[in-house]
Amino acid sequence: MTDAPTNAKSGQPALSLRDVVKTYVMGDQELRALRGVSLDVYSNEYIAIMGPSGSGKSTLMNVIGCLDTPTSGSYLLEGQPVERMTDDELAAIRNRRIGFVFQTFNLIARANIWHNVELPLIYAGIDKNERRARALHALERVGLGDRLDHRPNELSGGQRQRVAIARALVTEPSIILADEPTGNLDSVTGDEILTMFDELHAAGQTIVLVTHEDDVAAHAHRTIRLRDGQIESDTVVDPALAPDRISP
Amino acid sequence: MKWALVLTESAGIALSAILANRVRGALTALGIIIGIVAVVTTMTAANGLQNTFRKSFSSVGADVFYVSRQPWIQQGSFFQFRNREPMEMDDADALQQRIAGYGVVNPTINLPRPVKVGSTTMSDVIVVGTTDRMSYVSDVSTDLGRFMSPFDVRFKNNVAVIGSNIREQLFAGTMPINNSIRIGRKDFRVIGVMEEQGGGGFLGGPNVDRQIYIPISTFEAAYGTTNNNVDLAVKAPSQEALLDLEYRVIGEVRRIRGLRPSEPDDFAINKLDSLMGSYNSTMGVVVLIGLLITGISLFVGGVGVMNIMFVSVTERTREIGIRKAIGAPKRSILLQFLLESSFICVAGGVIGLLVSVIVTMAIDHFVMPAGLSFPIAFIALLVALITGVFSGLIPAMKAAKLDPIDALRYE
Repeated sequence: MTDAPTNAKSGQPALSLRDVVKTYVMGDQELRALRGVSLDVYSNEYIAIMGPSGSGKSTLMNVIGCLDTPTSGSYLLEGQPVERMTDDELAAIRNRRIGFVFQTFNLIARANIWHNVELPLIYAGIDKNERRARALHALERVGLGDRLDHRPNELSGGQRQRVAIARALVTEPSIILADEPTGNLDSVTGDEILTMFDELHAAGQTIVLVTHEDDVAAHAHRTIRLRDGQIESDTVVDPALAPDRISP
Repeated sequence: MKWALVLTESAGIALSAILANRVRGALTALGIIIGIVAVVTTMTAANGLQNTFRKSFSSVGADVFYVSRQPWIQQGSFFQFRNREPMEMDDADALQQRIAGYGVVNPTINLPRPVKVGSTTMSDVIVVGTTDRMSYVSDVSTDLGRFMSPFDVRFKNNVAVIGSNIREQLFAGTMPINNSIRIGRKDFRVIGVMEEQGGGGFLGGPNVDRQIYIPISTFEAAYGTTNNNVDLAVKAPSQEALLDLEYRVIGEVRRIRGLRPSEPDDFAINKLDSLMGSYNSTMGVVVLIGLLITGISLFVGGVGVMNIMFVSVTERTREIGIRKAIGAPKRSILLQFLLESSFICVAGGVIGLLVSVIVTMAIDHFVMPAGLSFPIAFIALLVALITGVFSGLIPAMKAAKLDPIDALRYE
């Protein structure tokens, strides 16, 4: 196991996990998905979480994404402890701090893409005019500013994933959590999406990406490998991409 | 989060969800429509029945009560009424003397008799022997000709005032006044035709349009009084004075009939009030049972809505997962499904109400006077809304409680 990255920004981490344990009870069996994970992610880091299936990376992803709370251990998101929050408090945190990008896009099929992108802002209580403007801006950022009235099923896979990225960006979240974002795309489209993540990262976005493909992980500057619910390695892959090396 | 925003968003989702499954929504609403039509029609019919009943007894009058040998509605043993002394013409005269200045007493006596004009016979006509005071006490008037006069009563004239129904059946197309009519075995001269009262014969009420009025003196001479009891209609100067007069009359009639203080009354005071009270207590039970049974059909409709809501929640598990992942609070999901079921039920309620209007019009036209009142319409819509909320509550709570991770994974 290598040491934690030394090139991380000093100061308070964007998110900080300490001895996070997650145990599932299935019948009379206890499944220990995470067995004490400690991890700091600083602002504008681009991290890939890797590991074979069953290594606990989905569970870690859910915990980081505030979709699930740890059985024990602590999790600070921008200094805020989330491990004891209620469901609605977690929903509010997800709404404001986290942008999800899923493997299966997870867009709402019946709504047009404009509505899909403005949806998080509705739950944030933003008024209509600002919602429209911000959704439009986010869609323009991913190059879909001219498709507002299309429904997800009228778009290609790559376009759908870009809508999902726009939806993740629209609330200006602390981190973007991408779960196998290229898993359902062909390699050319996948590369487009990864290029988009590179650009977002270059613009200062913190990104946590879960993947099992090395060439996808290669886009991140730091790779965390999980095995049996524990961090096996935490490596800075490409120091050139580290946040403190990027010129503003 | 602003409530108005959540509400608009949830309402939009709910509406689009219904519109996405139009046929399903319509079939679900059908259960509610049928339930609402059943409940509303029951209430309307009950209202119509009560109004018809009131109308059919309106000839009784609200400021009039009747002193009779037997009560109109008998409760208890038949034998306690059977051996009572008959009420006779003398009693009427005696009572009128004793309460002179307080009330007007009009004796009536009646018998069914066949009636014949030319070769046309009409059976089961009620022949009423009465006096000229009838037109004052019962507030009835003639449409044609005149009512009987004090002279007709005094001189036992063979004159008859006929109901509108009798005129239609026996004097179709001809002028009845001064024509001859045979009542039983005696010939009478028609001197008047009563105004049509309508709503007669309903629920055993008197059909005044099928009655013939003759002087009570003539009646006694022709048919006797031994087996028939005289009813004494007593009219108070006002409705307020009715109760006082009633007590006074009870006392006087007891004296006339020679009752000792320890003896119970051997006569009855009959009023529209007691009739309505008895009607209301009987009909109240009938209407309650009716509402209970029709309420079951509404309940079944509600169960149908609940069933569909469970389907709707299951179908959209993944969408719920997406919404929760991007920050939808529980109440927003809850509201979305509550609104969906409420929309279905209220739409069903509105359509049901429109159908009820048509059904009510049909009842009004073919069966009895009936109308859909505003309170009934309001209650129907409220019931539809409550049904919607209740049948959506459990599915909506199920949706709100879904774990976002499981919901996102749902295929």
